[in-house]
Amino acid sequence: MARAITALTLTFAAGTAAAVTITDSRGSQEFTEPPERVIPLEWSLIEQVIELGITPVAVADPEAYRTWVGAPVLPAEVADAGLRQEPNLERIAELDPDVILVADDQITMVPTLERIAPVLHFDTFSATHDNAEAARDTFLELARLFDREALAVEKLAERDARIAALAEAIKTRFEGDPPPVSIIRFADEARVRLYGANAMPVHALEALGLESGIDQPPTKWGLSTRKTEELAERTEGIVLHIEPFPQGEDLFDRPLWQAMPFVQEGRFGSLPPSWTYGGAMSIGYLAETIAEALLAWPR
Amino acid sequence: MKTAAVLALALLAALALHLAVSSDIAPSAMLALVAGAPAESHHDVLFVHAMAPRAAMAILVGAGLGLAGSLLQGVTRNRLVSPLTIGASSGAWFALLLASVLVPEAAARAGFAFAMAGALVAAGLALGIAGRNGFAGIPLVLAGMALHILFGALGTAVALLESDHVSDLFIWGAGDLTQSSWEPVRILAPQVALGLGLALLLAGRLTLMRIGAEAAAGRGLAVGVFTVLACLLALWMTASSIASVGIIGFVGLLAPNIARFLGARRVSAELLLAPAIGAIVLLLADTLAIAASRISRDIVVTGASAALIGAPALLLLASRRLHAGDHAPLPGVGARRPWRFPPVLLAAATGLLLAAAVFISPTEAGWRVAAPADLAVSLRWPRVLAALVAGAGMAVAGTILQRLLRNPLASPEILGISTGASLALVFAFVAFGVPLREAGPPVALAGSVGALVILILVAHRNRNAPAFVALAGIALAATLDSGLRFVLARGGEDATVLLGWLSGSLFHVRPEDAEFLAAAVLPLACLTWSLDRWLTLLGLGDAAAAGRGLPPGRARLVLLGITAMLTGLITAFVGPVAFVGLVAPHLAMLLGARRVREQVLLALLLGGALFVAADWLGRTALYPRQLPAGMIASVLGGIYLVALLARRRVLLPGRH
Repeated sequence: MARAITALTLTFAAGTAAAVTITDSRGSQEFTEPPERVIPLEWSLIEQVIELGITPVAVADPEAYRTWVGAPVLPAEVADAGLRQEPNLERIAELDPDVILVADDQITMVPTLERIAPVLHFDTFSATHDNAEAARDTFLELARLFDREALAVEKLAERDARIAALAEAIKTRFEGDPPPVSIIRFADEARVRLYGANAMPVHALEALGLESGIDQPPTKWGLSTRKTEELAERTEGIVLHIEPFPQGEDLFDRPLWQAMPFVQEGRFGSLPPSWTYGGAMSIGYLAETIAEALLAWPR
Repeated sequence: MKTAAVLALALLAALALHLAVSSDIAPSAMLALVAGAPAESHHDVLFVHAMAPRAAMAILVGAGLGLAGSLLQGVTRNRLVSPLTIGASSGAWFALLLASVLVPEAAARAGFAFAMAGALVAAGLALGIAGRNGFAGIPLVLAGMALHILFGALGTAVALLESDHVSDLFIWGAGDLTQSSWEPVRILAPQVALGLGLALLLAGRLTLMRIGAEAAAGRGLAVGVFTVLACLLALWMTASSIASVGIIGFVGLLAPNIARFLGARRVSAELLLAPAIGAIVLLLADTLAIAASRISRDIVVTGASAALIGAPALLLLASRRLHAGDHAPLPGVGARRPWRFPPVLLAAATGLLLAAAVFISPTEAGWRVAAPADLAVSLRWPRVLAALVAGAGMAVAGTILQRLLRNPLASPEILGISTGASLALVFAFVAFGVPLREAGPPVALAGSVGALVILILVAHRNRNAPAFVALAGIALAATLDSGLRFVLARGGEDATVLLGWLSGSLFHVRPEDAEFLAAAVLPLACLTWSLDRWLTLLGLGDAAAAGRGLPPGRARLVLLGITAMLTGLITAFVGPVAFVGLVAPHLAMLLGARRVREQVLLALLLGGALFVAADWLGRTALYPRQLPAGMIASVLGGIYLVALLARRRVLLPGRH
């Protein structure tokens, strides 16, 4: 399949910049040439655009992107287009974009944004689809838009190969029978977020051939909020918490925590700070982080 | 004595129920663990280190809030006063929220200090605005609810700009009793014990206050000093409980009232019974929250279940005996000499402001005046028009309410009419996934009309005493507000979207929306203008109106209907608009509007101008970031309230 797509891409690339028809959540639109001035307004899209080697003219909330998402790095010259919920229309109009990219809840802005430039809207996170598959589709569609399909296919293939290798290594490390893995993030010492079905870390686990130890029905982000004390009954196997968790020092010494079966049995560990609401490539980064933690797991 | 024994039994029963629902181990095992048996199973440990401290926390917080409510009600001689209704709770909550964003480490270490500072500022403002003569009546509660709304808006703004931990902050803010050690209990227990002891020392003086401040002063009580001391003690209890578990409403209000209902005549009896009742109420509410959390995907916070129990009780309370002064018509602002400001000048100023809002804006290269044909202008005019119309509409709605209730602090958001519309939209969003901006006018109208119907029904039973309508409205607003907080905490992933909408943004207004809104609001404003005789007559009292051949019931229904329509429509398109409906009619009076028509016209212009200015400030102040107009208007309204106080130009009833 990948080879077929590559062949197809090469055919396209060989021709002169032909008009391309892009399908977004609302239908198809024709672009006569790859847009150069791009303004993505949702972080999952910013990430994918940069992964494709495109520097956006402006993005929504660049400062917060640098704080929360981090990788891939946003070049310093990218302008600020305002907040994600309420981008600055006039600023965007001033920057004269060729295309504006929006996602999910931003659908309500589309009619207004379309008065400025062509708009593409993607459903990146939704309870009704597989977020990982959607991320892949969005990535490939964006690649077609920018005429970088070969690059995208190559990156995805690299990602999948890397994940497959890591999956193999994990299997070997756990002698063919790796335990389920539960991924959590503490809100504070008493409350914790559980990543369940359709959450990006769980998609990363699945790609690694692992099972999630958290059983809950899929939702848009796949998250639920529970009490810390319930962790034992709601998780299985190895429990990994995503840092940072400043109050950890307090919690981890307490009898309540020390009595958790997964703590007593040495099934608790941590993951470095990771962005869990990203796009196609960020599933790869998540898989790497998880694999690193598991491969270093004490025997 | 008998009551005390019954309460002690009830407390034990509530505790037993709480532990039976929260823990999975047998009662005998619990007793053994309490007696000192070592915890063996995981469930044993959960009981010892999570469930037992949680129950203890419920008792302590309930007792602390019950005590705070009892002290505050005693010192103000107002049975509707509580940490929540004088704004102290949300003041403390906002201070903590701000601290945890600005100075997270200090907030984690010294949360109580911030909460106390916030509670002090808020309560000081509420008491100051109401004035000593307003303590016993509705003015204090109205001022407190206004502050409650102001701090809520400010908190929303902070959460909106700090978008990533929003729902965490809201779970905590909505009052969650979850514990993971005995540490917080160990910190809170001595404080509540000490507070109770100190309160009992004050009991004698509190008894003296019952005969009235002047009479108490006549018997040698330093009323001012005593009031400050009692309030400090009450706020201490409030702040320490909020620093531990967030806002738990209603308990502080209910407990002292139930204590008196059960026959606590003496002050010392009430000071002991109210904490016990508070503890029982909170244990029961928390049991409900724990049971609901079991079946829900996310944590159900105790603040929400407390509201569920407390809200109907509050409405019931509001429909019982009123303070004697509350039956009298509330005097308006008329007593003061106005500034005399010609409407023509105001209209011209509003026009200039409009032009500035449409044509002047910052760009990356500095300020720019746009040509009328610019794309920027075509992007801008819908929101400016919507701001003008929304502000004007809320001002008209506020004018009607202030005239009908003869109370200059009445407004759609304080009476729960806005909140009803918001809650209906938020509910449609969370329960059925209807996008907030697409549910539109029908849902919002259903909400505001629903709120109004409840208001009218409850008020009707009390022969529509103006003060009474205000009270029922406040109860309703507080109830609906806790509903909103609950949805926000529960909404988790959707919290950011909800917050963006709740802060009253004009960003999403399309040209056709603005035109529709203008076409709907304008006739309603004209209708109000033409009904000036009704408003004048009803303002004189029902008897006066009936005497001149106006059926007061029907006329009031029509006028309140107009208010609900205006509020529902505006909320549907721009989200909740706070304070414009409060401030604009008030300012119109200050500018010399005497007659209804003058006030409607001036308020309309002022409201429109205020909201246009708020939107313009929101677009320009932090360019390229934009802040929602509703939020800016709330802040401006809040500053206005404070300025009123500072200039001693307090126009509230009771101070005359």
